[in-house]
Amino acid sequence: MLDLKIHSNEIDKIGKFSKEEKDYRIKNLNYFNDIGLPNKKDEDWKFSDLNAIVSKNFKKLNLKLGKSDNPKINFIKEFEHNYIVIINGKLTASDFKYEEKNKIDLKPFTNEDYSNKKENNPLVNLNHALSHEGFFLEVKENYKFNKVLVIYYFYTDDLDENLLNSKNKIKIGNNSEIHFVDFIVNESKRNFFNNIYEEIILEESSTLKNIYLQNDKSPGYFHKYTKNKLSSGSNLSSFIFPTGLKFNKLDLEFDLEGENSVCNIQSAAFLNEYDHQEVKTRVNHLYPNCKSYQKVKNVLNDNSKGVYQGKIFVKDVAQKTDAYQLSKAVLLNERSEFNSKPELEIYADDVKCSHGSTSGSLDKDSIYYLMTRGLSKKESTKLLVESFLNEIIESIKSSSLRNFIKTKLENQLKNEHKKH
Amino acid sequence: MLEIKNLNASINNREILKGLNISIKPGELHAIMGPNGSGKSTLANVLSGKEGYKISGELNYLGKSLNEISIDERAQKGIFLAFQYPTEIPGVNTSNFLRTSLNKVRKAQGKKEIDALSFLKLVKEKSDELGMDEKMLTRQLNVGFSGGEKKKNEILQMKILDPSLIILDETDSGLDIDALKIVADGVNSARDKKKSFLVITHYQRLLNFIKPDFVHVLADGKIVKSGTKELAMELEKTGYKGIN
Ligand SMILES: Nc1ncnc2c1ncn2[C@@H]1O[C@H](COP(=O)(O)OP(=O)(O)OP(=O)(O)O)[C@@H](O)[C@H]1O
Ligand SMILES: [Mg+2]
Repeated sequence: MLDLKIHSNEIDKIGKFSKEEKDYRIKNLNYFNDIGLPNKKDEDWKFSDLNAIVSKNFKKLNLKLGKSDNPKINFIKEFEHNYIVIINGKLTASDFKYEEKNKIDLKPFTNEDYSNKKENNPLVNLNHALSHEGFFLEVKENYKFNKVLVIYYFYTDDLDENLLNSKNKIKIGNNSEIHFVDFIVNESKRNFFNNIYEEIILEESSTLKNIYLQNDKSPGYFHKYTKNKLSSGSNLSSFIFPTGLKFNKLDLEFDLEGENSVCNIQSAAFLNEYDHQEVKTRVNHLYPNCKSYQKVKNVLNDNSKGVYQGKIFVKDVAQKTDAYQLSKAVLLNERSEFNSKPELEIYADDVKCSHGSTSGSLDKDSIYYLMTRGLSKKESTKLLVESFLNEIIESIKSSSLRNFIKTKLENQLKNEHKKH
Repeated sequence: MLEIKNLNASINNREILKGLNISIKPGELHAIMGPNGSGKSTLANVLSGKEGYKISGELNYLGKSLNEISIDERAQKGIFLAFQYPTEIPGVNTSNFLRTSLNKVRKAQGKKEIDALSFLKLVKEKSDELGMDEKMLTRQLNVGFSGGEKKKNEILQMKILDPSLIILDETDSGLDIDALKIVADGVNSARDKKKSFLVITHYQRLLNFIKPDFVHVLADGKIVKSGTKELAMELEKTGYKGIN
């Protein structure tokens, strides 16, 4: 097994910190070292034994990063957008050419709060201990973005068994609105482990729409923890299209901290080869009259593995909560695997909560029907997979984004088609 | 066109077709009638190439054996089955599907793919003939279609794909009188010297509109009686118990 105790002198190698910050980092490192990389004995990691996965695929985890030249980014041409470029976790460029500059504040991330505790997820402590890159984006009050913002997360080709920790914070002021795309671009050829911590704050009556997408396959192992905080009247939609990463776990927490806040989480993934993908959500209904909606669709091919753990927590005061959760998985062969664990924890009595989960193979009668109309078995399968996942894509309102994502999915399925 | 000799078919160790013989020449329309559970849909399925049956006997289409020919290849070679119960397929747009299907069949037959505009024209013409609302075609394939609408959609596909051997499995069941006439007109206008039809039905009424050249009675997996359209009228009076 890989020894993952990290020595506190690694912190000194990252940078010079105030005593307070160093203390904070050391404490967090100790919390992490107590547990190490979580394994399947930990309920939250039951289906994704990170310790085993990392031990199997990494000889070491380098904390030190080579100094890579700034790579050339191929910007998306299909639609006009603002952008931020993050290279190996570091904020390196940005352009808000479609916006009013004084409404936006963007800077590298700096710690301000040194309170610390042992987190449920040890990778969060690991991040607090070691992250020193990332960004802080603030949208001031009463401002609606004119164009979408694309955040390019670029990973360079000189990564080699590196452990990257970075931290981002996004704050959206009262009555403001922003749509952004997390777009992951990979040049790396070798394994690396990327651990992101993210905080998203929606102030009153603000709106955030977010799309999570990858440009290409990657040897990267990804973990991201996001804390979303929704004030009253705010509205968050998150569309997750996670495909092509060897390992990816998104641990997403949503605190509905004010009345009439709404969150909508939808995911569509096509996994193949040995992809391992987990979406874990926890939605905390803390105030009355809030709504949450989750729909997670997975198609699994080859030896891929998908996991969905979704928890809805409703506090006693959170009356008139409306919470919905659905997971649907299609397994294309016997070697693929899907695990789903829905959980409801409800302390209020006047609530509407429903959840459901299905998994199985594609409907044989549908394939038969399509074949009697001249489509081959592969084409029929592809059509059914595409329409299964398109349901999620269809609910994206912007047609240029919708088409961009559709084309990505189509290409992915086309490549799959050629492969076999 | 189609030559079936001593066809046996079983599924899950149950024998369903037990030595069935039929021969259909180009231009002919054959009707098959028979009690529930006698094997009519099974025959249609076997002709379409559906998997899961254990089959023996001879199946020849256009002079060649259909053994080893897959479902999609049969469709591409011009065999069309209108289903007794068309499958609902969520998420698949009806019109896009029709176009994909048509282009697959055309390509296999060495024809050029049809462009979007010509396709729309073709669909409009054919759906008008069937009194179908074109808006239906923007919907998901068969999802939420009424029984009659599903049947009309099958006939629309038949008209668009222009196949050579057409098997209609109880296409008349569930249609109102007007729809029945429209569908019958659809079949009649598609009839020509090169096409053959195998029409499975329970009702003589349909055969008043589309005149069969031959009528067969299928019972317990075999053709027990064959005749002309008078046989259908006789059956209407006597029922299946009266024959033999
Ligand atoms: N997969 C199967 N496994 C076992 N038995 C089957 C299967 N499929 C069909 N059968 C049986 O085969 C027999 C013939 O079925 P088929 O659907 O061909 O009848 P049919 O003549 O079309 O009847 P109907 O007039 O009611 O449509 C029935 O008794 C049916 O239950
Ligand atoms: Mg039948």
